[in-house]
Amino acid sequence: MSLYLYALVGRPVRRPLGRGLGGEALRLIEVARLLVVAGRIENAPRVTPTALRRHDATVRRLAGRTDAVLPIRFGTVVGDRLALARALAPRAAGLREALALVAGHEQMTLRVYGEAVTTSDESATESAGAGQRYLERRLRARRAPEVDPVRRALRGLVSAERIERHERPPLLASVYHLVRRGDSKRYLAAVAAASARLAGVRVSPSGPWPAYAFAPDAVA
Amino acid sequence: MKKARVSKAQQILAEADPSLLDLVDHVLNKGVFIEGEVILGLANVDLVYLRLSALLCAADRLAKP
Repeated sequence: MSLYLYALVGRPVRRPLGRGLGGEALRLIEVARLLVVAGRIENAPRVTPTALRRHDATVRRLAGRTDAVLPIRFGTVVGDRLALARALAPRAAGLREALALVAGHEQMTLRVYGEAVTTSDESATESAGAGQRYLERRLRARRAPEVDPVRRALRGLVSAERIERHERPPLLASVYHLVRRGDSKRYLAAVAAASARLAGVRVSPSGPWPAYAFAPDAVA
Repeated sequence: MKKARVSKAQQILAEADPSLLDLVDHVLNKGVFIEGEVILGLANVDLVYLRLSALLCAADRLAKP
Protein backbone atom coordinates (compact mmCIF):
# COMPACT_ATOMS: atom_id res chain seq x y z
CA MET A 1 0.00 0.00 0.00
CA SER A 2 1.22 3.51 -0.83
CA LEU A 3 0.14 6.99 0.15
CA TYR A 4 -1.67 9.05 -2.45
CA LEU A 5 -1.28 12.73 -1.62
CA TYR A 6 -4.05 15.32 -2.04
CA ALA A 7 -3.05 18.53 -0.31
CA LEU A 8 -1.07 20.30 2.35
CA VAL A 9 -3.43 21.97 4.79
CA GLY A 10 -3.21 24.57 7.53
CA ARG A 11 -4.36 24.28 11.14
CA PRO A 12 -7.00 23.78 12.44
CA VAL A 13 -8.60 21.03 10.34
CA ARG A 14 -12.22 20.07 10.95
CA ARG A 15 -13.18 16.39 10.76
CA PRO A 16 -14.32 14.19 9.16
CA LEU A 17 -12.01 14.43 6.16
CA GLY A 18 -14.15 12.06 4.10
CA ARG A 19 -12.94 9.78 1.35
CA GLY A 20 -10.57 10.13 -1.59
CA LEU A 21 -10.86 9.46 -5.31
CA GLY A 22 -10.75 5.69 -4.89
CA GLY A 23 -13.18 5.70 -1.96
CA GLU A 24 -10.30 5.31 0.53
CA ALA A 25 -10.51 6.99 3.94
CA LEU A 26 -8.47 10.17 4.12
CA ARG A 27 -5.94 10.63 6.88
CA LEU A 28 -3.94 13.53 8.22
CA ILE A 29 -0.18 13.00 8.39
CA GLU A 30 2.20 15.41 10.10
CA VAL A 31 5.76 15.62 8.77
CA ALA A 32 8.28 18.46 9.01
CA ARG A 33 5.66 20.57 10.85
CA LEU A 34 3.37 20.27 7.80
CA LEU A 35 -0.03 18.60 7.64
CA VAL A 36 -0.65 16.44 4.59
CA VAL A 37 -3.96 14.85 3.60
CA ALA A 38 -3.41 11.41 2.05
CA GLY A 39 -5.18 8.14 1.35
CA ARG A 40 -3.82 4.59 1.29
CA ILE A 41 -4.06 3.06 -2.18
CA GLU A 42 -2.94 -0.12 -3.94
CA ASN A 43 -2.23 1.41 -7.34
CA ALA A 44 -1.74 4.93 -8.65
CA PRO A 45 -4.86 6.20 -10.42
CA ARG A 46 -4.86 6.44 -14.19
CA VAL A 47 -5.31 9.82 -15.78
CA THR A 48 -8.94 9.93 -16.78
CA PRO A 49 -11.47 12.78 -16.71
CA THR A 50 -13.28 10.99 -13.87
CA ALA A 51 -10.13 10.63 -11.78
CA LEU A 52 -9.16 14.27 -12.34
CA ARG A 53 -12.64 15.42 -11.28
CA ARG A 54 -12.57 13.21 -8.17
CA HIS A 55 -9.14 14.49 -7.20
CA ASP A 56 -10.32 18.09 -7.63
CA ALA A 57 -13.56 17.37 -5.74
CA THR A 58 -11.55 15.92 -2.85
CA VAL A 59 -9.28 18.97 -2.68
CA ARG A 60 -12.31 21.29 -2.84
CA ARG A 61 -13.95 19.42 0.01
CA LEU A 62 -10.80 19.86 2.09
CA ALA A 63 -11.05 23.61 1.49
CA GLY A 64 -14.29 23.44 3.48
CA ARG A 65 -12.45 21.83 6.39
CA THR A 66 -9.62 24.31 6.80
CA ASP A 67 -8.61 27.86 5.98
CA ALA A 68 -5.48 27.01 3.97
CA VAL A 69 -5.19 24.35 1.26
CA LEU A 70 -2.21 23.89 -1.02
CA PRO A 71 -3.14 21.24 -3.61
CA ILE A 72 -0.65 18.55 -4.53
CA ARG A 73 -0.40 17.65 -8.20
CA PHE A 74 -2.55 14.78 -9.44
CA GLY A 75 -0.81 11.42 -9.39
CA THR A 76 1.60 12.04 -6.52
CA VAL A 77 2.27 8.82 -4.63
CA VAL A 78 4.87 8.06 -1.96
CA GLY A 79 5.73 4.69 -0.47
CA ASP A 80 5.24 5.58 3.16
CA ARG A 81 5.44 8.28 5.80
CA LEU A 82 9.26 8.22 5.77
CA ALA A 83 9.39 8.82 2.02
CA LEU A 84 6.90 11.65 2.48
CA ALA A 85 9.10 13.24 5.14
CA ARG A 86 12.16 12.92 2.88
CA ALA A 87 10.32 14.61 0.02
CA LEU A 88 8.90 17.49 2.05
CA ALA A 89 11.55 18.26 4.66
CA PRO A 90 13.98 20.09 2.34
CA ARG A 91 11.16 22.35 1.14
CA ALA A 92 9.23 22.71 4.37
CA ALA A 93 9.95 26.40 4.92
CA GLY A 94 8.83 27.34 1.40
CA LEU A 95 5.73 25.20 1.71
CA ARG A 96 4.78 26.86 5.01
CA GLU A 97 5.16 30.27 3.35
CA ALA A 98 2.93 29.14 0.48
CA LEU A 99 0.31 27.89 2.95
CA ALA A 100 0.35 31.29 4.66
CA LEU A 101 -0.10 32.97 1.26
CA VAL A 102 -3.16 30.92 0.27
CA ALA A 103 -4.84 30.99 3.71
CA GLY A 104 -8.33 32.44 3.41
CA HIS A 105 -8.00 32.64 -0.37
CA GLU A 106 -9.10 30.81 -3.50
CA GLN A 107 -7.89 30.96 -7.08
CA MET A 108 -9.53 32.50 -10.14
CA THR A 109 -8.16 31.90 -13.64
CA LEU A 110 -8.35 34.06 -16.75
CA ARG A 111 -7.56 32.56 -20.17
CA VAL A 112 -6.64 35.21 -22.72
CA TYR A 113 -7.50 34.45 -26.35
CA GLY A 114 -6.59 36.43 -29.46
CA GLU A 115 -4.21 36.69 -32.37
CA ALA A 116 -0.47 36.73 -31.61
CA VAL A 117 0.96 40.20 -32.24
CA THR A 118 4.62 41.19 -32.21
CA THR A 119 4.85 44.06 -29.76
CA SER A 120 7.07 47.10 -30.35
CA ASP A 121 9.13 45.98 -27.31
CA GLU A 122 9.76 42.66 -29.01
CA SER A 123 10.92 44.11 -32.32
CA ALA A 124 13.10 46.66 -30.50
CA THR A 125 15.14 43.87 -28.95
CA GLU A 126 16.23 42.41 -32.29
CA SER A 127 19.44 44.40 -32.16
CA ALA A 128 20.04 43.79 -28.43
CA GLY A 129 22.62 41.34 -27.10
CA ALA A 130 21.78 37.76 -26.21
CA GLY A 131 21.67 38.51 -22.47
CA GLN A 132 19.34 41.45 -22.88
CA ARG A 133 17.10 39.46 -25.22
CA TYR A 134 16.95 36.63 -22.68
CA LEU A 135 16.02 38.94 -19.81
CA GLU A 136 13.40 40.68 -21.93
CA ARG A 137 11.89 37.31 -22.92
CA ARG A 138 11.74 36.40 -19.22
CA LEU A 139 10.01 39.71 -18.48
CA ARG A 140 7.51 39.30 -21.34
CA ALA A 141 6.66 35.81 -20.08
CA ARG A 142 5.38 37.42 -16.87
CA ARG A 143 3.26 40.09 -18.52
CA ALA A 144 -0.10 40.18 -20.23
CA PRO A 145 -0.47 43.76 -21.50
CA GLU A 146 -3.45 42.74 -23.65
CA VAL A 147 -5.58 42.44 -20.53
CA ASP A 148 -4.23 45.35 -18.49
CA PRO A 149 -7.69 47.03 -18.38
CA VAL A 150 -9.09 43.91 -16.71
CA ARG A 151 -6.12 43.55 -14.35
CA ARG A 152 -6.50 47.21 -13.29
CA ALA A 153 -10.21 46.67 -12.60
CA LEU A 154 -9.36 43.69 -10.39
CA ARG A 155 -6.62 45.42 -8.39
CA GLY A 156 -8.66 45.72 -5.19
CA LEU A 157 -9.70 42.06 -5.28
CA VAL A 158 -6.43 40.34 -6.08
CA SER A 159 -3.93 39.36 -3.37
CA ALA A 160 -1.42 37.64 -5.66
CA GLU A 161 -1.02 37.06 -9.39
CA ARG A 162 0.83 34.70 -11.70
CA ILE A 163 0.97 35.06 -15.47
CA GLU A 164 1.97 32.41 -17.99
CA ARG A 165 2.29 33.20 -21.66
CA HIS A 166 1.56 30.45 -24.18
CA GLU A 167 3.17 29.87 -27.52
CA ARG A 168 0.12 28.66 -29.36
CA PRO A 169 -2.46 31.22 -30.43
CA PRO A 170 -5.32 31.72 -30.00
CA LEU A 171 -4.51 30.98 -26.35
CA LEU A 172 -2.12 33.84 -25.57
CA ALA A 173 -1.82 33.73 -21.79
CA SER A 174 -3.21 32.38 -18.55
CA VAL A 175 -3.53 34.74 -15.61
CA TYR A 176 -3.95 33.18 -12.17
CA HIS A 177 -5.29 35.31 -9.35
CA LEU A 178 -5.54 34.67 -5.65
CA VAL A 179 -8.69 36.29 -4.22
CA ARG A 180 -10.21 36.25 -0.76
CA ARG A 181 -12.71 33.44 -0.21
CA GLY A 182 -16.19 34.67 -1.05
CA ASP A 183 -15.00 37.32 -3.53
CA SER A 184 -15.36 35.18 -6.67
CA LYS A 185 -18.73 36.67 -7.69
CA ARG A 186 -17.39 40.21 -7.37
CA TYR A 187 -14.33 39.10 -9.36
CA LEU A 188 -16.45 37.65 -12.18
CA ALA A 189 -18.63 40.78 -12.28
CA ALA A 190 -15.54 43.00 -12.48
CA VAL A 191 -14.11 40.87 -15.30
CA ALA A 192 -17.39 41.07 -17.22
CA ALA A 193 -17.55 44.85 -16.85
CA ALA A 194 -13.91 45.46 -17.78
CA SER A 195 -13.93 43.02 -20.71
CA ALA A 196 -15.80 45.60 -22.79
CA ARG A 197 -12.65 47.74 -22.70
CA LEU A 198 -10.48 45.05 -24.31
CA ALA A 199 -9.43 45.37 -27.94
CA GLY A 200 -8.66 42.34 -30.08
CA VAL A 201 -8.61 39.81 -27.25
CA ARG A 202 -11.15 37.87 -25.26
CA VAL A 203 -10.88 36.67 -21.69
CA SER A 204 -12.53 33.58 -20.30
CA PRO A 205 -12.68 33.45 -16.48
CA SER A 206 -13.09 30.31 -14.41
CA GLY A 207 -13.19 29.57 -10.72
CA PRO A 208 -13.14 29.57 -7.84
CA TRP A 209 -10.45 26.87 -7.77
CA PRO A 210 -8.27 25.65 -4.94
CA ALA A 211 -4.95 27.51 -5.23
CA TYR A 212 -3.35 25.08 -7.70
CA ALA A 213 -1.21 27.73 -9.39
CA PHE A 214 0.32 29.09 -6.19
CA ALA A 215 2.39 26.09 -5.16
CA PRO A 216 6.03 26.96 -4.45
CA ASP A 217 7.61 25.40 -7.51
CA ALA A 218 5.16 27.28 -9.70
CA VAL A 219 5.82 30.55 -7.89
CA ALA A 220 9.62 30.31 -8.14
CA MET B 1 2.53 -0.31 -27.27
CA LYS B 2 2.80 3.08 -28.95
CA LYS B 3 -0.57 2.60 -30.60
CA ALA B 4 -2.27 2.00 -27.27
CA ARG B 5 -0.88 5.26 -25.85
CA VAL B 6 -2.16 7.31 -28.76
CA SER B 7 -5.50 5.61 -28.51
CA LYS B 8 -5.84 6.54 -24.82
CA ALA B 9 -4.88 10.14 -25.48
CA GLN B 10 -7.39 10.31 -28.30
CA GLN B 11 -10.05 8.93 -26.01
CA ILE B 12 -9.43 11.75 -23.53
CA LEU B 13 -9.30 14.34 -26.29
CA ALA B 14 -12.58 13.10 -27.68
CA GLU B 15 -14.25 13.89 -24.38
CA ALA B 16 -12.47 17.20 -23.95
CA ASP B 17 -14.47 20.29 -23.19
CA PRO B 18 -13.27 23.68 -21.93
CA SER B 19 -14.01 22.85 -18.30
CA LEU B 20 -12.10 19.58 -18.57
CA LEU B 21 -9.15 21.33 -20.18
CA ASP B 22 -9.13 23.85 -17.33
CA LEU B 23 -9.24 20.93 -14.93
CA VAL B 24 -6.29 19.26 -16.65
CA ASP B 25 -4.24 22.44 -16.50
CA HIS B 26 -4.98 23.00 -12.83
CA VAL B 27 -5.00 19.47 -11.42
CA LEU B 28 -2.31 17.83 -13.56
CA ASN B 29 -0.05 20.74 -14.43
CA LYS B 30 -0.16 22.83 -11.24
CA GLY B 31 0.01 22.21 -7.54
CA VAL B 32 2.83 21.10 -5.27
CA PHE B 33 5.18 18.91 -7.29
CA ILE B 34 7.23 16.39 -5.37
CA GLU B 35 10.02 15.65 -7.76
CA GLY B 36 10.66 12.05 -8.55
CA GLU B 37 7.64 10.80 -6.67
CA VAL B 38 4.91 11.22 -9.24
CA ILE B 39 3.45 8.02 -10.63
CA LEU B 40 1.38 8.89 -13.60
CA GLY B 41 -1.13 6.83 -15.51
CA LEU B 42 0.49 3.57 -16.46
CA ALA B 43 3.51 4.22 -14.20
CA ASN B 44 5.18 5.92 -17.18
CA VAL B 45 5.95 9.59 -16.71
CA ASP B 46 6.49 10.29 -20.39
CA LEU B 47 3.14 8.82 -21.22
CA VAL B 48 1.18 11.17 -19.02
CA TYR B 49 3.10 14.27 -19.96
CA LEU B 50 2.53 13.31 -23.57
CA ARG B 51 -1.18 13.29 -22.84
CA LEU B 52 -1.02 16.56 -20.95
CA SER B 53 0.82 18.20 -23.79
CA ALA B 54 -1.71 16.87 -26.27
CA LEU B 55 -4.58 18.17 -24.16
CA LEU B 56 -3.14 21.65 -23.80
CA CYS B 57 -2.44 21.87 -27.51
CA ALA B 58 -6.01 20.77 -28.07
CA ALA B 59 -7.19 23.53 -25.75
CA ASP B 60 -5.50 26.06 -28.00
CA ARG B 61 -7.29 24.65 -31.02
CA LEU B 62 -10.66 24.02 -29.44
CA ALA B 63 -11.19 27.25 -27.55
CA LYS B 64 -11.52 29.71 -30.42
CA PRO B 65 -11.90 33.40 -29.53
